[in-house]
Amino acid sequence: MAKQTCIFFISLFLLGSHAVRSQDTVTVPLHIRAGFDLSGPVLNFLDKDLISYGVLGSVDINSAVAVAAGFRYSSFSSSGVLYDFNSRGLSITAGADYNFVKANVARGKYYAGIGMRYGLSFYNEEAPMISYTNEWGTGSTSVPAASHTGHFLELTPGVRAEIFPGMTIGWNLYMRLLISAGAGKDLKPVWMPGYGAGTRGMSTAAEYFISVSIPYKKIKVFIKPRVQQSEDDEETEGENTQTGAENRGFNNNVF
Amino acid sequence: MTRYLSIPLLAIAALLAAILPSCSVQPCYEDTNPMLNTLLLVSGTGETAEADSLRVYTYRETDTLRFVDSNVTSFFSVPLDPDSDQSLFLITLNGVTDTAVIRYNRRPHLVSPECGYTLVSDITGLKTTHNIIDTLIIENRSVTLNGETNLHLFY
Repeated sequence: MAKQTCIFFISLFLLGSHAVRSQDTVTVPLHIRAGFDLSGPVLNFLDKDLISYGVLGSVDINSAVAVAAGFRYSSFSSSGVLYDFNSRGLSITAGADYNFVKANVARGKYYAGIGMRYGLSFYNEEAPMISYTNEWGTGSTSVPAASHTGHFLELTPGVRAEIFPGMTIGWNLYMRLLISAGAGKDLKPVWMPGYGAGTRGMSTAAEYFISVSIPYKKIKVFIKPRVQQSEDDEETEGENTQTGAENRGFNNNVF
Repeated sequence: MTRYLSIPLLAIAALLAAILPSCSVQPCYEDTNPMLNTLLLVSGTGETAEADSLRVYTYRETDTLRFVDSNVTSFFSVPLDPDSDQSLFLITLNGVTDTAVIRYNRRPHLVSPECGYTLVSDITGLKTTHNIIDTLIIENRSVTLNGETNLHLFY
């Protein structure tokens, strides 16, 4: 976590240190990115119940929008007094990212934006032991392994920076909205791979990823040089006024 | 540039909110015990009846389980045997005892990750003696955690 925080602030520094340049057009490279999630294997050291490996890719459509997709394998295992639960499966997400950083600042290297994705989770769940107690005593049962398909939506604010040509690091936060766990109202998964706790309508997660980025095309993006444009306008207006005054035979110096 | 800072700051806040709860074991605050709810009614009129005394219990090989022992009541709730597909109840209403056998199918239901699973049931049939009970009918077959009335007992 400390390493992630450190690199996160380095990412911000890289974003902040890039000066805005005033020019009419800027050439922006469009990239294809492919990377993997570093946080999954790290979190496995902290939480032995969860194994999660993710890869993700994106392709820039223009300077602001990229289509993105991700694949994640998750395995969750929990053993307790009341029940044992296992689930494992593959989740697929697909959607788009929007970069709020302007093209002349980002230049294909920096990203601070938000993505929206649709996710599918193909998973298998089972509860090999369930213990239940009431006034009659204790009953035990089990839920055999069964396959289900869950659906969810993801909102993913995040940042990304190119640390050196061809290599990108970044954060994504995941706010997921469950559409359906696909297992009926009685057997909602304790953990739905790719989503999280299947009993909750919303879940959050974070991902710290490193990816390879390959430029595949360069585009020219028109940038409005705001400050210069307003100065030019003032000058033009001043000239027009002066010209107008001259035409009318006035001389400001006289008054 | 400062406007871009709001996104990662939001990310950090949400990340902490997501991670911190998972660091501790969450207690169970939810009801995990589905009950068979029965309403007492006056036979013939169908109005709600108030029994002067009511006891509901069962005999087992080793002991007696007493579920209800109350005065002046028009409603009672009893749990079903989680280890069997039928439960036998002895219902003593105003001093007169009847026997009721409830048959059902059980299925696991996840209450929450903290509370684990419970067993909810669908009533498939019932039998009763008629010493004081006129009729015992199924109003709602699903014995779940929602507290709905399952049986109407006319006497």
